[in-house]
Amino acid sequence: MSTFETASRHKTLGESLTERGISRRAFLKYASYTASILALPPAAATAIAQGLAAARRQSVIWLSFQECTGCTESITRASSPSIEDMIFDFISLDYHHTLMNASGVAAEQARHAAMQENAGKYIVIVDGSVPLKDDGVYSTIAGISNLQMLQETVKDAFAVIAVGSCAAFGGIPGANPNPTGAVPISQIVTDKPLINISGCPPIPEAMTGTIAYLLSFGSIPELDHLGRPKAFFGETIHDRCYRRPFYERGMFAKSFDDTGARQGWCLYEVGCKGPVTYNACATLKWNGGVSFPVQSGHGCLGCAEPGFWDMGGFYKPLSTGTGDATRWVAGAAITGAAIGAASAFAARQQRKRVLKEG
Amino acid sequence: MTLLEFARGPAMQVALAVFVFGVCYRLFSLFLLWRTHDSSAGSSRQRPVAIAALREIIRRLWPQAAYKNRTMFALINGYVFHLGLAVVVFALMPHILFFRSLLGVSWPSLPNNVIYAVAVVTVASMFASLAMRFSNPAMRIISTFDDYFSWLVVFLPVITGLIATSHLGARYETLLAIHMLSVALLLIWLPFGKLMHVAWVFVTRSQTGVQLSHRGAQL
Amino acid sequence: MNRDSNAPCMTTQSTGMAWSILSEVAQRLQALARHNEPSTIDLRSLPMTQADREQLEELLGHGEVRARLEVAGPTDIWETAYAGVWWIRHMGDGGRIATEEIAITRIPEIFLSDPHDVSAAADRIRTILDEGYDRLAALEAPHVHI
Repeated sequence: MSTFETASRHKTLGESLTERGISRRAFLKYASYTASILALPPAAATAIAQGLAAARRQSVIWLSFQECTGCTESITRASSPSIEDMIFDFISLDYHHTLMNASGVAAEQARHAAMQENAGKYIVIVDGSVPLKDDGVYSTIAGISNLQMLQETVKDAFAVIAVGSCAAFGGIPGANPNPTGAVPISQIVTDKPLINISGCPPIPEAMTGTIAYLLSFGSIPELDHLGRPKAFFGETIHDRCYRRPFYERGMFAKSFDDTGARQGWCLYEVGCKGPVTYNACATLKWNGGVSFPVQSGHGCLGCAEPGFWDMGGFYKPLSTGTGDATRWVAGAAITGAAIGAASAFAARQQRKRVLKEG
Repeated sequence: MTLLEFARGPAMQVALAVFVFGVCYRLFSLFLLWRTHDSSAGSSRQRPVAIAALREIIRRLWPQAAYKNRTMFALINGYVFHLGLAVVVFALMPHILFFRSLLGVSWPSLPNNVIYAVAVVTVASMFASLAMRFSNPAMRIISTFDDYFSWLVVFLPVITGLIATSHLGARYETLLAIHMLSVALLLIWLPFGKLMHVAWVFVTRSQTGVQLSHRGAQL
Repeated sequence: MNRDSNAPCMTTQSTGMAWSILSEVAQRLQALARHNEPSTIDLRSLPMTQADREQLEELLGHGEVRARLEVAGPTDIWETAYAGVWWIRHMGDGGRIATEEIAITRIPEIFLSDPHDVSAAADRIRTILDEGYDRLAALEAPHVHI
């Protein structure tokens, strides 16, 4: 690492951005935006701006395991607006398979250098689940298993953020029958502060807003029982859905593209899992607030919840069972009938005996 | 496995299986018993069996004048919660979808707030029926575990459904799971207690009607 | 987008939210008038449709001050027809609204030049001046005495 880079690491964000001609006013604008998406009171903007300006450029090591890179796509798609891009001025993405210049041995050296230099202060972001079956051989990087890489990297980390439902809950690799023994990061990292930002992928602002919070306040935001920031995962889609009045009035789309669907009616009947899914899709929406699945006419998949892939089917309504009860019921009917008939027969035999005995 | 996954998965499958087993068992074990044959000549006023049966079922929907005054409150209250339960169970869209997944048919629904109001009335009516059972000394003496437990397993789905839809007291997915589990309990108990009157009421009233019609009487 | 023209679109209907916010603004403006207490209302966090937003803008109106800031993308700020009530619209590139607030205050904080920026600017202007003087001195103009 050059002396220039090491020197800049010790400047505060305020100082280094001033050198590049970005004023403190930009911090304040960014802070207003961040306070808003974190659902903090607007007055918090000042504290956020000051916290950010006084913070050092945050070293971030991004580990990608059994993932599809969707989470990276999402965070870099934090739209083109420069205000959302500012987060990339505040962090130093020291290791990231897709985005970094170096590769191979050089990349791994960069990772170890960042870990050493920023010991106790770097953040580890993980996307993708970790396979444990057969000693973790189903996903290896640089010759070592994901489990090994995770354990050695988080040792001196300040905090760990598991982005995406794969890292947070096992996600798609962990879906039935889970052939690789995929587990969420929380099962492996138990002694470091861990934040889960679930979603498939997560909303970009949920990721960047959480990082901004960490930077501004130096602490973990309030988390729910699944380790997700309450600012983004405190309410269900159903609670903030603009189609809720249709649900209450009993106006449902019966299939895609029918009259009800064209009128924008509730999508409960075509399988929307909004009532049991906690995420900010209905308020923050996607692509800079353009739309979200329900607004585009498709029910919520429940992608921010554990095991969403195995919730019985995206198009089966929430009030139906997840399994196929046909065989059980058929068997039960036959057994019931048989035992019923047998008991009736036994009763008849008993009566005959009684009558004969007189 | 979360509570909701359990409620929608194994719990529902087991409950449905036990329900079907129980109903089949009770129907078969009754209908395959012997019939006592009345070899006396039927009265000239005897009606065809089907007509006699149907007539009696309809006649018993309303009490005779002699009993009317004394039983009026229980009668009206009974209709209130029976009709209320029917509306709540069969006219709410999420419930209709549940039946559709089992039976393949569906029907129109009513708005959620209408159902909510009906459910509240049903809860009050059920409390009234329980109060009547407690306060009447004769009823109290003859009431058994079956009476109280059957009341409970019908009451729980209604109250847990109201709580779930009001989002009271816990996260929604937990309340929904509890509601589904209470329905599973109802399904498991139904064939084996007095709730089986859902089938028997038609059997007993038809039988009475046919027997009386054979003698040319109407009661 | 395929949609029946008669279909009610929930995102464009007015819900009356504009009037609720106006009454909130009224309360806070009182607090500012009586006790000099500034406050801010975050519009992004409220469930407003596009129609609500337009109605609110119409209700509050435009006053004497209008400013455009170019900082990490454009920002429009105007004082509404009510003194002390400012509308702040932060945008990213492409004019997409990133966040919107109503600030009830004598002057929104973002207008003020930050002390750090001021001292950095003071240093910068000093540097420019010093360079300028040096260049003048190098011009060998004897009648100029520094």
